[in-house]
Amino acid sequence: MSAAISANNIGFGLGLRPEHYEEIAANPGRVGWFEALSENYMVPGGRPMHWLDSIRRDYPMALHGVSLSIGSIDPLDDRYLADLKALADRVQPMWISDHLCFTGLRGTNMHDLLPLPYTEEALGHVAERVSRVQDRLGRRLVLENVSSYVTYAASELSEWDFIAELSRRADCEILLDVNNVYVSSFNHEFDALAFLRAMPRERVRQFHLAGHTHKGSHIIDTHDHPIVPDVWSLYAEAVKLFPGVPTMIERDADIPPYEELLAELDIARRIAAGAQREVAA
Amino acid sequence: MSRGANTGSLGDLQRAFQDYLLVANDAFQAAVRDTNKADRVTLLDVYRDGYALRLIEVLTTDYPGLMAMAGPADFDHLARAYIAAHPSHHPSVRWFGKDVADFMGRTPPYNGAPAAVEMARFEWALGEAFDSPDVPPVMADALMALPPEAWETLSFTVLPSLRRFTFAFEVAQAWQRREDVEPGNLEVDAAPEPVAWAIWRPALLTSYRSLDPDEAAMLDALTAGRSFPELCETLAPFTGSEQAPARAAGLLRAWVEGGMIAGFSR
Repeated sequence: MSAAISANNIGFGLGLRPEHYEEIAANPGRVGWFEALSENYMVPGGRPMHWLDSIRRDYPMALHGVSLSIGSIDPLDDRYLADLKALADRVQPMWISDHLCFTGLRGTNMHDLLPLPYTEEALGHVAERVSRVQDRLGRRLVLENVSSYVTYAASELSEWDFIAELSRRADCEILLDVNNVYVSSFNHEFDALAFLRAMPRERVRQFHLAGHTHKGSHIIDTHDHPIVPDVWSLYAEAVKLFPGVPTMIERDADIPPYEELLAELDIARRIAAGAQREVAA
Repeated sequence: MSRGANTGSLGDLQRAFQDYLLVANDAFQAAVRDTNKADRVTLLDVYRDGYALRLIEVLTTDYPGLMAMAGPADFDHLARAYIAAHPSHHPSVRWFGKDVADFMGRTPPYNGAPAAVEMARFEWALGEAFDSPDVPPVMADALMALPPEAWETLSFTVLPSLRRFTFAFEVAQAWQRREDVEPGNLEVDAAPEPVAWAIWRPALLTSYRSLDPDEAAMLDALTAGRSFPELCETLAPFTGSEQAPARAAGLLRAWVEGGMIAGFSR
């Protein structure tokens, strides 16, 4: 059975965070799967690799990277791809994701998800690189829409048309971050539902949910708060449009007790179940 | 074909964006739009502030003892100076802080605080040991089973996590108090004389301890691949030739039991 097939209907997952290693081991079966941050496990050994292997024995896992820099005009980083491939061989993840952005240039890593201009030039550039990464990894890549704070004057396409076309042209999949859609729709004043509806249904591999920080004139994607009601509402629409797509909650700062994230995951479960009943009715 | 900074080519835009963050070149402002709610400078500041804050946070995590010594304001100053001098060249932030001690050692005013430089060196070594390659330490039984003649040529390897330092300040002792004081109040005393230290990770937990002068000399010789008889010679100036083999055997036993030795060859 391929990883993609076994990944169907795995349901609801959490980000694998060191703060929760012991609790995960002590509370089996509360979560369907974990998403591990690829770079955190590109280390030789020790506690990170011990817990990765240990938790992987009990749960399906996805790998989620932040440094592929798929949109950069720098050459693809061969060493990074080799490390990612080695990690994938070890973890046997359901899928490998990263972000539709650039994270560095001229050999310098900015460690931020910098948005791309949505132009034909960028589309061709990214599509070609996605194809090469997929060849290297021997699997489809899953790319996530990022939260962004600026709009390029040069952009010729909407973000959703860019992503939809990219997924078709490069034959890749989409990690639909519902919070990021919400954040960017507020920051750039677009219709979040139009974004969701433009996603090719068969290519949406995973949902992300997260909290953010509202600054009044703009929203920053901080992953340090619970998910807000507006994002839950958008998620309810997303699960109607893309039923059965695995959902996962990200928390990267002010990490709460494991139980709190499990309770938040239960909210996602209830919303998804309600949406399915609504669709069925 | 090269185009102007604001004509919208992907390369021009990416270079301008990076220059906005790295060298405070504001030309990129012309490439992005205001919204009805926020002007472009406010929005671009999310990236400019975020770039520094993210890396400062990484350094804060890697150097809690240094933070406890310096306090938030001075640590922020140091971190920003380091970020400007050492942009990240690795895809993972795990390695971003690797040169902090060297940077401090050669850069005023930080090179005027040798205890802080030693703290940085100690903390980076702890981090290196934390996720170093997993190599199981050799067991004492394996050495005990060797025939006596084997010891004439026996040499050893240490765990890849093992690091040796000589500290003029009591950084390891102070580091244990890092969470007991208000940030900025961690005092680090000078040692009566420089002391040798070893840091290593036998299993999942990192170990560190001070070494006697003869122990440090023998460990360095062992790490350099010297044979057991040569290790005894290393100890002779400290112990006298007659006592050296017994002392060497005792130290070796302590290192094996402490999980410091990875293997041996005859």
